[in-house]
Amino acid sequence: MPVTREGFEPLIVAFCCNWCSYAGADLAGTSRQTYPSNVRVIRVPCSGRVNPGFIIRAFQRGADGVLVAGCHPGDCHYHSGNYHARRRFTILKQMLDYLGIEPERFQVRWISGSEGAKFSAVMNELTENVRKLGPNRKLRDAR
Amino acid sequence: MSTANGKIRSSAAEALAEGRVTLVLGWRKKDFWWQSPVAFVESAAEAEQLTFDPFSVYNPVKYLLEAAGCHEKVGVFVKGCDSRGINRLLQDKRLEREQVLIFGLPCSGMVDPVKIRAAFPAPKICEVARDGEELLVRLSDGQERVQTADFLLEKCLTCRHPNPVVYDRLLWERVPVRSGVDALRFARVSSVAQQQIQERYAYWTRQFSRCIRCFACRNTCPACNCRSCIFDQAEPRWLGKASDMSDTLNYQITRAFHVAGRCFECGECERICPAGIPLQELNRRLIMDIDKYFGPYEAGLAPGDLPPLGTYRGEDPAGFDES
Amino acid sequence: MKKIAKTKLQELWQRLSAEGALHLPVRSDRVVEFVRWQEDVSADLDALNAFLPPKKYFYPQTETVLKYQFEDTLQLTDVSSLAGEKTILFGVRPCDAAAFSLMDKVYLGEPVDEAYRRRRESTVVIALGCLEPEETCFCLAFDIDPGKAPGADLLAADTGTELVFIAQSSKGEELLAKLNGVLQEATSGDENKVKDAQERAREKYVTRVSVHGLAEKLDTFFDSVYWDRLYRRCIACGTCTYLCPTCHCFDLQEYAAGRSGERIRCWDACMFPDFTQMAGGHNPRPTQKERVRQRFMHKLNYFPRQHGGEYACVGCGRCVRQCPVHLDILEVIREMGGAVDGR
Repeated sequence: MPVTREGFEPLIVAFCCNWCSYAGADLAGTSRQTYPSNVRVIRVPCSGRVNPGFIIRAFQRGADGVLVAGCHPGDCHYHSGNYHARRRFTILKQMLDYLGIEPERFQVRWISGSEGAKFSAVMNELTENVRKLGPNRKLRDAR
Repeated sequence: MSTANGKIRSSAAEALAEGRVTLVLGWRKKDFWWQSPVAFVESAAEAEQLTFDPFSVYNPVKYLLEAAGCHEKVGVFVKGCDSRGINRLLQDKRLEREQVLIFGLPCSGMVDPVKIRAAFPAPKICEVARDGEELLVRLSDGQERVQTADFLLEKCLTCRHPNPVVYDRLLWERVPVRSGVDALRFARVSSVAQQQIQERYAYWTRQFSRCIRCFACRNTCPACNCRSCIFDQAEPRWLGKASDMSDTLNYQITRAFHVAGRCFECGECERICPAGIPLQELNRRLIMDIDKYFGPYEAGLAPGDLPPLGTYRGEDPAGFDES
Repeated sequence: MKKIAKTKLQELWQRLSAEGALHLPVRSDRVVEFVRWQEDVSADLDALNAFLPPKKYFYPQTETVLKYQFEDTLQLTDVSSLAGEKTILFGVRPCDAAAFSLMDKVYLGEPVDEAYRRRRESTVVIALGCLEPEETCFCLAFDIDPGKAPGADLLAADTGTELVFIAQSSKGEELLAKLNGVLQEATSGDENKVKDAQERAREKYVTRVSVHGLAEKLDTFFDSVYWDRLYRRCIACGTCTYLCPTCHCFDLQEYAAGRSGERIRCWDACMFPDFTQMAGGHNPRPTQKERVRQRFMHKLNYFPRQHGGEYACVGCGRCVRQCPVHLDILEVIREMGGAVDGR
């Protein structure tokens, strides 16, 4: 468990593609890059596997921020999963914004297996940004 | 209007008598002047009850999912919006073109009973019939003529395709698209979008607070045609049965997102919502974004298309920070 | 018997809200609904049917019945004892008030539903008599007088410019006594005005259908071929059941999270395919035909057979107006052999 700093510690759920971003997390670890323990990584086969329902469910169950991370466009292990994901999450992000849910809480990033430093930077940045936004109450299941 | 009914009845009767179809879906008049529900007609004699009046608004296409399973070929009457629903089912591979005999009905708009009642509050309304550009409102103590345009359903005021886009036979002359449709189409979306983010959240949660999760919006929608819906699943249960804002948002976001790029703007979800939730403001926002990011697209016009969220281009822009 | 001018209602709301949480029908956005009164809110006394019937106050759509927590031992909290905030319900129409009595048969019959009883007892129901029917009203078919509401604690009779309050229970009398400063004494002239208004209203309403002897007729209707055709139009939404003031079927759901959880009772609709779905996968009502049959047979045969001949319908007309496909009880009663009347 992290040493809790004063005040609010956000919970970040990161859906990471097995082939790129999850490997990026591995590289971050083996190269001793640090990233906040606020982030809970969930390994998925592909960013295209991530159903918008996963993101809603993460927010419902207490996430203050959600990240989907996949291979860079053109690099998908399955050829086109991330292209589909790009369209899908482009629309979802605008929709959340339209419904009044801060779009900053939902991010999509392309992180390759060689980008350990980027993985760590993205996680640090996202955690800091969500910390500034404060806890998420919208979409939260109160039970 | 009587000539319209004549054409509908004879077309249906003929197709049934010749054995080209064994069932025809149209509309019939019920008890009240504003009730023209979908009729299931199986014989030439029954075809006499068919009617097409200012309230034949319900989209009969959804019934094809079940009907096409028990009849070799089904006849169906479609307005412009309904016909796009047929393309929806074809595109989703839920229907084969040979399974339907389509009678196209160019439609100059359906009438909103709420607007009629507001204009004629006291006297009893007996019948509302179309007469050229006007509506003939027969009251218990006389009759009046009003301009049809003032009484159309909101969804019809923004209709870009009043003429069927797929049919075997068109029963009468095409009608022109209403002027000013494009300006109105996204007007409500824009006025919501202009608000501050907290106001938008307050607006939507107020609207959704009335949602009773009757699922009428889903069940009437031809784009919601999955064989089994995740919301009906008990294990795993994606949608709790308790009515709270968290799960109502979950339902509404998922429903709207699922029809993103597939919604053909028939507006039935909003029209039948018993809680008066402005669902088209959500559906149309997704259409707006799809147009903006991936190029203008209208669903249900060509069954061969891939829906925008089922395809991609390498050079697509992203609506998020890609750095 | 007391009265107030309709122009002074805001004072009445103010005074009533001091006696408990005041809820009344309000028009907002596109619908009329019962909501809690606040300073800047004015009641809609013209609308007959709020979109959701006031049954939600005694039988809420979602209600926690049990909470549990597992520490060293299992700890249960019975939350039914928490129900029962003092509430005043104003503007309940006679049909909806009659529906309360029907629902009482279910929830106050043995075994008594404790949470329901508490809510019912802590609420004063003020009914509002109707003057003009909507075209979908058919309360008279069930002997419900549009100007009267014998089951309510108080009746507010609308005489056009004034509301005349008549106490009909000890709870009603108690409340009325507290409103002395706001209400005026009614005279025998007012009493006559009320009678006139009630009579005029009764004349304007039509029964539309006759249900006399219908329950008996339906004893042998279960296997009728009528059901084979009727259901085809149904889209299996829950509009009719959720909007019905007498529908009362519920589901129990478990919400478990780690070492704690809740048991929740929520509205369910017999129109939904999963309503009768069993754990093993079997569904005794496999198609929409059986589900539609269940709804109408329950209202018009099973309920009257179990509850002294009373039908589980009050003729409010919500399902007639709101069913997306116009598959409504008026049509069914008529086609099942109930006579047609007064169209």
